[in-house]
This record gives sequence, C-alpha cells and structure tokens, in this order.
Amino acid sequence: MNHKNHFLRFILFSLIIFHCSLIITGCSSFFTRFITNSFKNLPSAPDTVATKIAHPIFRNVGLSVLWVGHATCLIQIGDKIFLTDPIFTKTAGMISKRRIEPGILPSSIDKLDYILISHIHFDHLSYGSLSMLPKSAVILMPIGSAEYMPEFGFSDYREMNPWTTFEADGVRITAVPVKHFNGRYGFDGSWLNYNTYTGYIIEYKGKTVFFAGDTGYDPEKFKEIGRKFAIDVALIPIAPIEPHDFMKRVHADPEEALQIFTDVHAKIMIPIHHRTFVQGLDSSLTFAQDQLKRLVTERKIEDRVLSLKVGEQRVLVP
Amino acid sequence: MLLKRTTWRTGFILLIGMMCLVNWHKAIAQEHEQRSGISNSWLVMQAVPGVSWTCFPPQTHFSLEWEATPVLYSWGMTKLDPPLHFFFVSQPERFAGSVEFNISTQFYTSPVGASHWGFSGQLLAHLPLVEHGEYVGLNLGVARYNIAGMSSNYIVGGFSTLFGFLHYNIKYSPADEIWMHSIEFRFF
Repeated sequence: MNHKNHFLRFILFSLIIFHCSLIITGCSSFFTRFITNSFKNLPSAPDTVATKIAHPIFRNVGLSVLWVGHATCLIQIGDKIFLTDPIFTKTAGMISKRRIEPGILPSSIDKLDYILISHIHFDHLSYGSLSMLPKSAVILMPIGSAEYMPEFGFSDYREMNPWTTFEADGVRITAVPVKHFNGRYGFDGSWLNYNTYTGYIIEYKGKTVFFAGDTGYDPEKFKEIGRKFAIDVALIPIAPIEPHDFMKRVHADPEEALQIFTDVHAKIMIPIHHRTFVQGLDSSLTFAQDQLKRLVTERKIEDRVLSLKVGEQRVLVP
Repeated sequence: MLLKRTTWRTGFILLIGMMCLVNWHKAIAQEHEQRSGISNSWLVMQAVPGVSWTCFPPQTHFSLEWEATPVLYSWGMTKLDPPLHFFFVSQPERFAGSVEFNISTQFYTSPVGASHWGFSGQLLAHLPLVEHGEYVGLNLGVARYNIAGMSSNYIVGGFSTLFGFLHYNIKYSPADEIWMHSIEFRFF
C-alpha cells in the first residue's frame, strides 16, 4: 500500500512538474498545439507527389531551382549544387506532421556541394534529413548554431556572421541579416544569447540567388540587400500568416513577401515555406498560396512570381 | 530546530555560491562572445526540479531533485563546438554523445532517518539511439548518494527523450538493495 501510494504521488508530481517546466520554458502552447493539431494528423498519410524527378541534377545548367517543399530548394548554378534547409522527414521535430511528401527522394541527390541552414528551428535544421544526404557537402549555418549541430560526417561546417562571405572554387556565399527568432527547444542557449538566423546570397558564374530562409518583413534590411546585390532569383517565405499580429513580427505574409521581392530588386521570386506543414493557425495548407495568387494577379506580375508545385523544377537560365 | 536552521544556512550559502559562480562564468563568457554562457535565466532553469521515487525496503520515499553539471565531455558534435562544457550544456551536446559529472541535491518529502536531504554525484554517459539522441538516447553510469549520513553506490541506467529534456533513470545499489526511479528534467 505504501509503495502504491508513493508511486501514485511520484507520477502525479512528475506530471505537475513536467507541465510547469513546459510553461516556464514557453513550450506550453507548443505542447497544446501538438496535442490538438499534430496528434489528430498523425494517422493521416501525407499527400503524394505524382511525379518525382528521379535525376534532378543536370550535367551543367545556367540556373535551375527545384522546390522540394517547405524551405527546401535544390538550386543548381553551373556545376554547383546547393540545398537549402533540407527537410525530408515525416515530422518536423517529432511534433509537426508533414502534409505532403518531399518533392524528390533524398537518394536522388547524388552530388551536393553546399547545404545552407538558415536557422536551427526543427523545420529548417532536421537531423534526420541531414543523415540522408551526400556527405561531400559543406554546411553553412548562422553564428551560434554549432551548439545545435551534431557531427554528421560532412566535409566541412562553417558558422557565418551577417555580412560575412564564404568563398571557394568561384562560389561566393554571403550571410545576410533577416528578421526571425531564436531557439530550438524553447528556452535554450540560443534563445538566451544571440541571433541564430540568417539569409544567404549565393553568387556563382554571374548568377545571384537570394535565399531568405524564414523571415518577417524589415524594410531596412531588405533594401540594404537590394542595394548590395543584383539578384536574379529570390526564394522568399510567405507563411504562416495567422494569428497575424503575432506572426507578422517573425513571418512575412504574402503581401510582405512581395514587398521583400520589391526591396531586394530581384528579377524572379519563388515563394517558399508554405503548403508542407501545419503552420500557425492558417485555415488551410494553401491559405498563403491563395492569397499570393490573388495579389500577383492584381499586380499583373505572374511572369515574375513563379509559384512552383512541390517537386517542380524550373530551369531559369539554360 | 537546529537541523532546520543549519539546512537553511547551507541553502543560503549554496545560493550565494551559485550567484558568484554565475557572475564569474558571465565574465568568462564575455571574453568568448559567441558561446552560450551561464546567466540568471540559466539559474532560474536550474531551479526546476526532477522527481525521484526511492525504495528503501520496506519504505519508499518521494523526493524533489535539483541537478547541475560541473563538467561534461561531448564527442558527438562538430569541430566548431569545443568538447568540454562547464555548467552550461546545450541539449545536443549532451544527447549526441557525452559523458558528464553531475551533482544533485534531493529533498525527501518524508524524512529518511533524521533528515529530509540527500546529496549525490553521478558519472553518466549519454549514448544517442534515434536522431542523434534527440528523440531517444541511452543513459548509463554510476552514482554515489549520501542520504541521511548513509552513503551508497548505485548503478544507473535509463533513457532520455523529448529532445533530451526528459530523462528516466533507474538506480540500483547492489550492496544495500535500494532501488530508485527518477524522472529528471534537464535544462542545460
């Protein structure tokens, strides 16, 4: 009896303290969302991608972009292959369920030169996904990320401060400031100490690509990027949107994404960071995409804003 | 009464000691701008206790447990992250493969002998099992507990999950036949 009572107290106290610690760490709402949104989606299979490109790497191409889903884009400039924020796993961080399959199989990427990590959130730094990729690549990540990057056996790892440039073999990759938020596990070292998020400018063979990662709108930052680089293609996030007052501090909505596109003076915009996971309180997976489509039609810029389907590859410069 | 006063005094000295340690570590952290460091927020997080259920046959005791990691050696991270960590440990540095020396103090809700307090030191290895240990990791090690003036050595085994925050460990003292189950919340 004594054992039983103590065991029940043990379980009860554990649950109380566990929940208190979630509240203290700011994970409580996250946990509630996990229970409500993600749990109900766990049994459902993700939407399928009808035709996955089996060989997405060209022998040589001017500039091509393949949207794998979320913020994952396979970019090829000439003979160099870049992959942004790779996520191929069924969930983001055990919690958020993937709602559509990745646009390609990771095994189809047989050559990879650079992996760009914009920040350390689960949907952008996925350990399971990095394990699936060719280890020939160099990983670039924002300053302060090394504490969150286990060794995967990649050829090199570099932390980048804003406005610093990595150069190798004719490739220039510059970390550029964006507006987002820190942390991976809620209240952790990254949250406490410094800004572990960035965007990147890739320059190679006269082509320039801007990968904005995950960002809110900050006119000064993006206008400065626009002044410093002649951007051919900008990969800009458009979601989540709701709750708008909260999200707009750290996530650009479609209207703001188009403003970023204008500020950086890019020729082409490709929207990213939508459709793939349940994000925020957006009413549907295509909520942001539908808003963007309406705005693009109103402004008659359909030829400059290319909304790719998951798995779609576009050769922009042959 | 005397015991109570001594306990409070010990607690106060420990708190002052911790505050000094925080400020000392902060000064070091300023020299290495990009590294995470101990802060007052860190101190607050250390105040979140773990819970233990200890079985001293024929009695059982429930306790709250506070842990700190004076030193941890991590072998699972890249060359950019130094292997040795003092007090401030990010979750991956622990769960991606590490061995740590940690100390803890326990408060037993019912007295063990004449005291409510226990102290322990643990040498614990963390071995990654799933997703580099972020989803599931294995804990193995040894511990020495001093509870109410009685010291015992324990074998420790268990697992961690939920991004290294939640640890469940079973501790067994072969000499004294004491079993201990503990759920620990590890922040740093």
